[in-house]
Amino acid sequence: MDAEFINTYLLLVTLTSLLANAIISIYGLFFKPHYTKKVIALTILSDTMNTFAIYLGYRTWVNGVNPRPPVLTSTPTEKSISEFTARAVDPLPQALVLTAVVIGLAVTLFLVFLGYILYTHYKTLDMREIKKLKG
Amino acid sequence: MRRITELAVIISLILGVSVLLVLAASILIPGVEVRQLAFFYLYTTINPWFQNYTVNSPEAVTAIVWDYRGLDTLFETSVFYLALIAGLALARGLFSETLQGSFNEKTSGLSTIVKTVTRVTAPMIIAVGASIGLHGHLTPGGGFQGGATIAVIPLVFIVVYSAFFLIARGVTSNKMLVLRSIGLLGIGFISIATFLIGLAIGRFAYVFQNMPKPGAIVGLPADINGALISGTLWFFNLFEMIAVAAGFTIAFIILLLAGRGGSGGR
Amino acid sequence: MNVYAETIVYLIMAVVSLLSVVAVYLAIVERDLIKAVIYSALQSGFYAVLYYLLMAPDIVLVYLPVAVGLIPGVLIVLISKTERWEKE
Repeated sequence: MDAEFINTYLLLVTLTSLLANAIISIYGLFFKPHYTKKVIALTILSDTMNTFAIYLGYRTWVNGVNPRPPVLTSTPTEKSISEFTARAVDPLPQALVLTAVVIGLAVTLFLVFLGYILYTHYKTLDMREIKKLKG
Repeated sequence: MRRITELAVIISLILGVSVLLVLAASILIPGVEVRQLAFFYLYTTINPWFQNYTVNSPEAVTAIVWDYRGLDTLFETSVFYLALIAGLALARGLFSETLQGSFNEKTSGLSTIVKTVTRVTAPMIIAVGASIGLHGHLTPGGGFQGGATIAVIPLVFIVVYSAFFLIARGVTSNKMLVLRSIGLLGIGFISIATFLIGLAIGRFAYVFQNMPKPGAIVGLPADINGALISGTLWFFNLFEMIAVAAGFTIAFIILLLAGRGGSGGR
Repeated sequence: MNVYAETIVYLIMAVVSLLSVVAVYLAIVERDLIKAVIYSALQSGFYAVLYYLLMAPDIVLVYLPVAVGLIPGVLIVLISKTERWEKE
């Protein structure tokens, strides 16, 4: 078994487990009847999608040197900038995921308020019973 | 027992599917070169020989969030604001911020050990959050990160002491609304600052402009006496930190007070 | 540079991802909602290690206060004001 096969296999274990996370949380979102469990499953699903986006920006190792975060740490000369662009990770998915995390947090806060209003109105949070009541 | 069986099935499925996917691997493995757009952002984020495109900030992610893609962040701040207003409107009439009965500080809340530890670590958390927020253009950090870290403090205080402790000390939801409005007004003013400077001098300038661009040679300074502030980025980080922290405090006060007395609501 | 450094980093990424799958499964099938929230916070901790290994330090600094501190805090307050046990 050469090293390339093992490296590819380990990266694909990471990707497949992220896919399994997404499938389990979608199952939980559809088939579990309690409102709070649905909110938990929705936060797990949105975090997994953000992780897919960050994985898209990664770079392979070249000559045994690891990729770097997109922050320039030395004074900008021609040589240091060309080294920086040869090794740094893609910064655009990280900027978009920053926005997505804050928006997911705002939506979750609003859903929690809504869940409390539902409880005071129907005296239960079980979605099957609320469906039977019909307002 | 049933859970352990299901877990074992899931993990062995993951390991098995990965072996299958190795054969189709070439599209899922990251490449050697970054994309053209990423190369442009990394090359021009601080580049003294490229004065028309540079941002003068060594942190590429903050430069993308507030300068290259600044309009996205402006509308995301407004989405957050709207979600908060919707939550406030839903909870109106459900609570009252005046306490019925008496409030004894010594016996309410958790034990003395927890109270003392909270009082010691609260200024440290605020200092760390402010440092993360204000250094966003030099190292990883920024407005959201600092604001979310500072917003942990009111939650811990409300749980350990009680919500009426905060209200008695003057941290009411009205004052936090004022702080949040100051933050949002600051962001709005900084975003048109270059345009107003251009109007005053008599030159052409864009809205949301940071550094001088070809055709619009107006911009904010990149450093003050040698300390790098990257034009509008430092001010955006400061006001965003204030706005995010105040917004979360409002949400926590309202959520934890909901349900206590309905007739005296606002 | 050690020639096995790349394999070790990928191995840690794979182990952390598998542990996060265990935490997500336990969070979805658990019927006591307080334990489900704690398992979800544990999954967020594993994701934060994964973001650090994928070279995204800005995201770690946003994700740790939000998903390990604020979201479980708000959810536990909601559970204390409504129901705690999920019916069958």
